[in-house]
Order: sequence, then C-alpha cells, then structure tokens
Amino acid sequence: MSFPTGITNINNFAPELPVQAAEDLLSTPMFNLIHSFGVDLHHAESYIGKTTRMSRFERLSTDGGQLDGSGIDPASEVPVRTDIDATMEIYAKSIVTNEQVILYENSKTLTKFTALLGQWLREKEDLLMRDLFSSSVSYINCTGGTNGDQPSNISLNDINNIETILLGNDARTMLVSIDAMDKFNTGPTRDAFIALASTNLTNDLQKVQGVLLKNAYPSQEGLRPEEYCSISRFRFFVSSKGAKTPGISTLGRTVYTIPMYGLEAAAKIEQNSYTAVVGYRPPWVVSSVAQNSQLYAKFAIARAITNQNWISGLNATTFSPS
Amino acid sequence: MPFTITMGGSFTSTGAGVKILLPNYADYFKVWNITQMPLAPATGVVIGAEWFGAKFGLGATAANDGIRIKKTNSTNAPLIDTFQTATVSNGFTYVATNPVVEQQNAAVITSITQANGAVVSQTAHGYSNGDIIQFYNTTGMLQISGMNFEISSVSSNAYTLIGLDSSGFAAPATAGFTRRISRFLAVDPQFMYVTAVTKAVQAVVTLSVDPSLYYVPGMRFHFSIPFSFGMTELNQVNAEILSVNPATYQVTIDLNTTAFTTFAFPASTTSPTATLFATASPSGTRTTRDPNTFVEKGYNFQFQAFHTGQFVPYIFLSGGAQSPAGASGDQINWQAYKLEN
Repeated sequence: MSFPTGITNINNFAPELPVQAAEDLLSTPMFNLIHSFGVDLHHAESYIGKTTRMSRFERLSTDGGQLDGSGIDPASEVPVRTDIDATMEIYAKSIVTNEQVILYENSKTLTKFTALLGQWLREKEDLLMRDLFSSSVSYINCTGGTNGDQPSNISLNDINNIETILLGNDARTMLVSIDAMDKFNTGPTRDAFIALASTNLTNDLQKVQGVLLKNAYPSQEGLRPEEYCSISRFRFFVSSKGAKTPGISTLGRTVYTIPMYGLEAAAKIEQNSYTAVVGYRPPWVVSSVAQNSQLYAKFAIARAITNQNWISGLNATTFSPS
Repeated sequence: MPFTITMGGSFTSTGAGVKILLPNYADYFKVWNITQMPLAPATGVVIGAEWFGAKFGLGATAANDGIRIKKTNSTNAPLIDTFQTATVSNGFTYVATNPVVEQQNAAVITSITQANGAVVSQTAHGYSNGDIIQFYNTTGMLQISGMNFEISSVSSNAYTLIGLDSSGFAAPATAGFTRRISRFLAVDPQFMYVTAVTKAVQAVVTLSVDPSLYYVPGMRFHFSIPFSFGMTELNQVNAEILSVNPATYQVTIDLNTTAFTTFAFPASTTSPTATLFATASPSGTRTTRDPNTFVEKGYNFQFQAFHTGQFVPYIFLSGGAQSPAGASGDQINWQAYKLEN
C-alpha cells in the first residue's frame, strides 16, 4: 500500500509529450561504391541512337620494315580498328507519398525522400557496373591458398599471376606510387592496378604475404575510404556488395569474384541530358483528390568492357567457410 | 495500396517442376490444383499453395517453401502447413535477380559418363532441354566442378552435355550436385567456358553453352587459357568468330592453332591445385563487308553491344503430388499478384 506524498512527479503527472525527435536523423546505410571510379567516363549525345560505339586502332605490325636498297617499297599495312558497342539503358525509381505522411511526420519527408532517391541513383549505378565485371570478364580460380577448395582462398601467387597477365598485355597502372616516408611501420606502395573485392575477403587479405594495410601507407592523403590494402601491384577496394556467387565452389562454398584491371579496361557512358534526373509530381497531378505526390529519380547508363587485355581477375573462396 | 493480379494462367502438370515467367515480378503467388480439389486423395496431396514475397517481411516465404493446403484420407478435410514441414515435397522458389542459383535444385547426380556428349544421370531432375546447369562438389571429374553446361536430350532421369567431351577423362564422376541457373547473366555478351579447341588452320572452339544466343560472326573472343589446360599459346589472345554452330556449341575462329599445344582439361586428381577455368570473353568486333557475298559481319547490335542480360524473373514450382505443380495430369491454376508501389 502506498500513500500519496503530495509531490508531483512523472509517475502521477506523465509528460505531455512522451517522445521527442533528436535534432537530426541517423545515417542511412550506404554500401561502398567501388565499381565505377576506376572506369573511363564517356558521354553519349542525345537524338542519335541508343548505342555508343567506342573504337580503337590496333598497333601496326613491327615485323620487317627495313629498306634493303633495292628501291622496292615495303608492303603497306591496313590499320585495324576494333569497335566496342554499349547500349544505353534507363533505370528509375519513385516514392509516392500520401499527404498525411507529409502533414504529420516531422522529419521533412520530401527532402529526406529526395536524398534517398539520390542515394539510390549512386548505389544502382554501382551495382550495374559490378554486374558488368562479373558477367563479361574471364576470371581465374585461386589455387595458392590452403583451404583445400577450388577455387582456394586468395594468395600472393594468385595475385602475381594476374599482374603477369596484365603486364604481359601491356596494361597500364592506374594509381600512382606513394613514396616512402620516415615513419615507423609504413612502407611505400608501387604504382598499381585496381582490385575490387567483397568485404568478406578482408580477413584473408590481411593474411596474404606482403600485404600493406591502408594504415601502413606512408601518406593517407587522397585515399578513398573504400580502400583496404595494397598487395603486390594491386590496391584493393572492398564493398559489402562485391560480386559473389553462393555455393559453387568444389566444396559448395561461396565464390567471390575479384575484378583486377588497369587504365581503360572498362567504360561507363552517361547520356547527355539524362545523367541523373530527379523530379517531383505534385498531388493534383498524381491523385484525383490531390492526396498523393510522387518523387522520382532516373538515369541512363551504358557500360562496356573496352579492353579485355587490360582486365582480368580471380575467383576465390574464404579460408574459413562463409 | 491494393494488390493487383498481374498474371494468371493454368497448365496440366507433367509431374515435373514448372517455371513460370513473371516479367513484372511478383509479391504474392498462389496455385490451386483443380483436379485434386474435389477428390479424397492420399494424405499429403496438395490442393492449393501460396507464396509470399519479401515485402511480407517476417512472413516472407523461404526458398523452396510456401504454405500448402493438403488433404487427408480420413476426412477429406483440408489441412494447412508449410512445404518445409514435409519430408519429400518441395515448394516455391522465386528468382528475381541475376545471376541466379536455384536453391531448390541443389540436386544430387549419380554419374557423369566419359563420352563425347557426356551423359549425366540424375533421378527425377525436373530439368528441360536448354536449361543451364551448374555442377559443383562432384566426386570425380573435379575439373568441371563449378562450370555451367547447357543440357539436351533430356529424359526423366538423365540428360546430355553437348559441350563436354569427357571421353579422355580418367574416370566417370560418381556423385555431385547441380543447380539450374539463368541462361542470361546480368550483362551480355557474357563470358563462356571453353571445353575444347581443335588444332586447325581455323580452330574450332567448343563451349559449354550454345553461343549463338550471345555471339555472331564478326565478334571477337578474348581467350583466357590457364597453363593447366595445355594450349597456353591461346592464352590472352584475341580472335574473330568466323561462324557459330548452335547444334554443337562450337565457333570457328580466325586463328591457326595447328602448331599449338594440345588443349586438354587437367586431370581430376590435380584439383584443387590445377588452375581453372578456360574461358572466352567478349572483345569487341571488327565490322567487315564481303564484297562478293554482300554480307556484313559484326553489325548485329542485338548481340554485340554490351547490354543487360535478357533475364526475366520467374517462380519455380516444384513438381509432384505433394508440391505446387502437382502430379501428372493435374490441372493447376495459378495467379501472380503484385503490391502496388
């Protein structure tokens, strides 16, 4: 049995407003966007078709060519042009919002929803580029790991094999070297190709012989947050959305695909006037009683592997099943 | 927002699994077995089933599951449970992303023969001619574990891999698993698995899948041939496709391989250290026009331009009396719903 004390407290006088919103919203999760920044960007003009053709001339033969004094001209050579075509595609997403949400919600819904659509634009584009890498490039299974699977977990030997392939095909590195500095526990990085991997591989990347984790670079200036480490001639960038296929290794484990490439290996083509369109349809347009409004975002993109000689990669499993 | 029926239809069951294409995707799917509904069938026979998509959150249906409405012998009254409570039946599997792995078809094979056109034995596999099958965890023939093959000459318990000449393999596979995957990867033209290359003035390359849906003459292949496959001279080489043969899954290329090392799969016993796989990937085109025949090569934009794979979402209904696709002869009505927005 309790007796009234005459003191007004929150047990007998509850707050009029039981909850208040914090001064700002929490962050919306966004995965690392790693699949676009290493590719070439091209632009397609409007009104002249949906397919963009990228062309390059192949180098001339270096056989022969010596003038032997006979006065006979050396055989001429017809240059060869290789064409790479990519089809423009349009993607869109919308959010239809009832007026009562806007009326009652205190988080500035239309502004926040616009930001969400903007994030969708970037994430969708990243996944489209990832799919290009995973579908249209040849990959080699890792075999240097010790987990007994096919493909195995990643090893230095596997990474060096890809370097050999890219260098053998005259691929150019994309990232400049970072010079050594007089700092403890740091080491220089070489000029490097790019490698893209799932975050599930970070545990294995740490164990690769010769790995230089990002914190051990001599300088952190200009580094992207998605970067994880440097191994041999590759700098690895990771994302939770890195390409993977569940259950297809010899032992039935998930296989992770790691694109590894240099300059001008792949391209993203943006459509002029349609790069990123974000719009608003007011209630009197969307709804007959003017109760629903619509926000939308859309963009056009074409993508292509522009030189298979300058891109390769690895299939890997993890040392511990994942 | 209301549910809208986006598609509907009916089919007569063959007892095998059925794949229903859903180009507009689906959030809810249901079937009724019109044949079994008025009968008093054996216990467990399904008369109706429902599948709930991801928008239902915790109520979403797991892969190879679903709510099933079945009958009992004794009362002819319907009972409701889920497919996963049964021991022999399978439910729905919705496939909306690409590339895909159908979990319900992690099926067991019993053998792969050593033959040119290897024959796979797999009891009640439910596959159809032209399906793309991925092999893994094979016992024996480890050199093809993880590869995709198009299947043909399908019978109830077997099918043929036109693209695999396994006659030179040391021993047949005696076990393993398969899954059916999408014919179209997320982006086409897609990379392809190479299973043989002849030594000829114009080499003939055999692929594990019919290449004619992705490649036409005039397009070019970039070959990745690991050392373990022998013909290393072809590694990292580009070559033009001169012709495509959809019957044999072969392409002829403008490359003289007569002096090359013989192409051969590594031995199964070298796995997992032998590097896999031999592949070919799209490397552009060199458009040409033959002035004699007036034929232009490499101008088929449907094939050569990089584009999103022609993937269509679908739902797979497992077959059999205790499954949504019913037993042979059953009439099945189905409806696909979509939640607006």
